[in-house]
Amino acid sequence: MGTVITFWALAVASVVAALAVVFLRDVFRAALFLLASFIAVAGIFLLLSADFLAAIQVLIYVGAIGVLIVFAIMLTREVKRGNPWGRMRFLAAIAGALLLVTIVLAVVNTAGWPGGTPPPPQATTEPLAMRLFDLETGFVLPFEIASVLLLAAVIGAIVLVRER
Amino acid sequence: MNFDLLTPELGLCGTALLVILADLVVERKTVLAGLSVVGLLVAIGLTLWLWGQGPATAFGGMLVMDQFALFFKLILCGAAILVILSSVDYVSKFPRFQGEYYGLILFSAVGMMLMAATRELVSIYISLELASISLYILAGFLKDHRSSEAGLKYLLLGAVASAVLLYGMALVFGFSGTTHLDKIAGMVGSLEGLGANPGLLLGIVLMVAGFGFKIASVPFQMWVPDVYEGAPTPITAYLSVASKAAGFAVILRVFITAFGEPAWLSQNWGMLFAILSALSMTVGNVVALAQGNIKRMLGYSSIAQAGYLMVGLAAVGRGPGDFIGQSSILFFLASYALTNLGAFIAVIAISNKVDSDLIDDYSGMARRAPLLALALAFCLISLTGIPPTAGFVAKIYIFYAGIKQDLLWLVITGVINSVISAYYYLRVVRVMYLGAPAAEEGVPSSGALRTALGLCSLGVLVLGIVPGVLIGVAEAVKFLMP
Amino acid sequence: MTIGLEHYLILSAVLFSIGLFGALAKRNAVVVLMCIEIMLNAVNIAMVGFSRFWGLLTGQVFAVFIMTVAAAEAAVGIAIIIAIYRSRQSVDVGEVDLMKW
Repeated sequence: MGTVITFWALAVASVVAALAVVFLRDVFRAALFLLASFIAVAGIFLLLSADFLAAIQVLIYVGAIGVLIVFAIMLTREVKRGNPWGRMRFLAAIAGALLLVTIVLAVVNTAGWPGGTPPPPQATTEPLAMRLFDLETGFVLPFEIASVLLLAAVIGAIVLVRER
Repeated sequence: MNFDLLTPELGLCGTALLVILADLVVERKTVLAGLSVVGLLVAIGLTLWLWGQGPATAFGGMLVMDQFALFFKLILCGAAILVILSSVDYVSKFPRFQGEYYGLILFSAVGMMLMAATRELVSIYISLELASISLYILAGFLKDHRSSEAGLKYLLLGAVASAVLLYGMALVFGFSGTTHLDKIAGMVGSLEGLGANPGLLLGIVLMVAGFGFKIASVPFQMWVPDVYEGAPTPITAYLSVASKAAGFAVILRVFITAFGEPAWLSQNWGMLFAILSALSMTVGNVVALAQGNIKRMLGYSSIAQAGYLMVGLAAVGRGPGDFIGQSSILFFLASYALTNLGAFIAVIAISNKVDSDLIDDYSGMARRAPLLALALAFCLISLTGIPPTAGFVAKIYIFYAGIKQDLLWLVITGVINSVISAYYYLRVVRVMYLGAPAAEEGVPSSGALRTALGLCSLGVLVLGIVPGVLIGVAEAVKFLMP
Repeated sequence: MTIGLEHYLILSAVLFSIGLFGALAKRNAVVVLMCIEIMLNAVNIAMVGFSRFWGLLTGQVFAVFIMTVAAAEAAVGIAIIIAIYRSRQSVDVGEVDLMKW
């Protein structure tokens, strides 16, 4: 029963916070609600017994990305401009609503999802490391590519923000 | 672990770092372009060596070096060489960061080469992002108003497309419990219908949408005109050729390996690609008619060319056992790469001098720069699909693949569109040859750029007259099925 | 009542749609970036949910990579936004109407 209540609380919190990001007029507050949404999602990860992911969700999203976004808002005086709507917002709303209905219908009617009760939760950090770095069955290749990707992103970010 | 298979990519990463470091000490910046080209030539050599070794896999089947992957690596390395050669003049305008410019082109090439060579969703996603993030940066590299906006628009729309692609991947993973394409095929292959599994169907459709963005197919083409116009012209050329080729490589591999069986499923995605193909051809060509800026025009033209290419995808879907659809795509991509790069290189040379991308400013170019105008005219003729050019052979070949799979309506749409496209391609030729020159002085260009343009024109001509050899190679190229 | 896979998937769908709507409907580039992060979070919920109910860690590994890319993308995006701010020197930055066409 505790899980049910926690799930609903976190789900409502994350959705309300996401809606606030879209609908609030003040960009700075929108960013704060984004952080709230990230934290609620970290809670969802805990419910799914993904403890390591919950931790790095807080570290990367709330810590790194959140701070980056707040920095961007302050550095560019984005706050003064507010959070205006584009010209095609009704089309976007229709697209979003259609997508939502489609996904929900598709997801609910699918027989092929893994069913039943999940295995009992356990600590994931060590198995996750094994899954990532096992040479034969692990994800060493994407890990190596990710290192090149981060290098490219760092170089690019420096090039873009240095004065000409 | 067989690290030999990664040598072309590792070599390119090393070259990229070397170029960035060399930028700090070298005074003559053309050396950097030379270094990058040498690195790419070495990568081509290593690729050919791997071709001789025969197909192999590594990293538990994630990385696969078959002829299909190696063919794309050759196209991608070749395209990167031509782009770098044509950048030499353009880049001399930058006071700083030339090394980073070449380095990022190489990083992006590594990402695209890996896209063609991975058989697992996580690796596909991350190599696609490596290619894309490097391109976002390169699109905004000029840091002026237009270029930055192009970079930002490309990044934001690209990130939305990636998220859609990821949602599709999540649904496919949720259905099959694995990210390996061959194992997904094992779960999908025995299905009787998707009526009981709309979630899987939605996953496939969302993946089509995500990949459709990368190849600039309608209705996911909204980024093309502004990004093509605002990005540095060599990068526009790179985007229009390499990023499209890598996108098609991924689509072919994912859809044939994972969703090639059962037949009713491939029939359905084949039909989906046929519809996207008809839309892309029509929208791309009709909107291109109204363009006055040559970069925008070539942007819409590249949307239309993606449409022709998707005729091949539709043919693959309708007859997965028949390889003509696949080989016609390979041949089309190779000839399209040469043709489109040639056209863009001529545009780079002219815009360096004229400082404008308006078609009206090309007036009388045949008298100011006869060879340049001739090469541009030749490439535009090839894009239209008139003999004796590579574009003509490629179009005939891909339409033949379509007819063979009973896609007559699509081929007729394609032929009508080719006729429409003649109007705007040949309009540029007419302006260059019949218009009065605005000025008398010629259009200077560097040796590197002339070499690149000469290589492209020669390639277009050779493939147009004796296409047999490359068609033979394209037909022999298969990918390693599990 | 128990919380099954469907609950997590529907939550993920709701967040994804809100993010997509915001990304297409908003004009402020930073807000669009925030909406994209919401979409990626939604994808991660679906990935981890599937992972949990399959009893596999593959989905969690995928989520780790998505977070890595999200951070890199945000860094590059914000670098471009700052470059635009510099080149225009005005408060009117990031005027990108993504559905202008």
